[in-house]
Amino acid sequence: MKNRLKVLRAEQNWTQADLACQLEVTRQTVNAIEKGKYDPSLPLAFKIAGVFQIPIEQIFSPEKEG
Amino acid sequence: MSPSKGLTNPAREIKNTAMKLFLFTSTWVASTALLSFGPRLWWNYETSTTVLVVAVNLLAGGLMLLAFFRHLKSMDELQRQTHLEAMALTLGVTMIFTVIYGSLPKVQLLTESNPTNILFVIGITYILTVMGLWISRTSE
Repeated sequence: MKNRLKVLRAEQNWTQADLACQLEVTRQTVNAIEKGKYDPSLPLAFKIAGVFQIPIEQIFSPEKEG
Repeated sequence: MSPSKGLTNPAREIKNTAMKLFLFTSTWVASTALLSFGPRLWWNYETSTTVLVVAVNLLAGGLMLLAFFRHLKSMDELQRQTHLEAMALTLGVTMIFTVIYGSLPKVQLLTESNPTNILFVIGITYILTVMGLWISRTSE
């Protein structure tokens, strides 16, 4: 799964630690999601969408479209 | 607005549960050592004392397990998944090792097998797997 987490975080001028604190996860987890090494659970994905106040599909998309 | 303000710190909770896990594990190890050496060295195999130490050992073991589950629940999802995958791999390695290690004396490749050695395999496999998975997923 691809995601725009790094771009969205940069737009808010947040560090990985700032975002991790809001999501109540470790900074390493944010880093793993940004690098595509870990796909978050559905509850965490919705929490991420909530933090950025955009729909979940604007953050995450399947690796292969269509 | 600083996003960090007024929010809970999961790292603090993990540290707290890890400390409790360390304390209960230490108690269990100490009571296991007492059970192993105490009857011979200190109370000359007196049954009532040995039964008491067995009860303390079981209680400490139960509390250690409880502390471990609480520690697991306090982790974030990536940490929890890493530990659960390490446990799954450790279970498989332990099964394979136990079968072959138990067979070695029967086929006369070892004079005897000591079941305690299995604990080392469990511990080493678990620690190395957690470290390997965590580094591979979180390396910058």
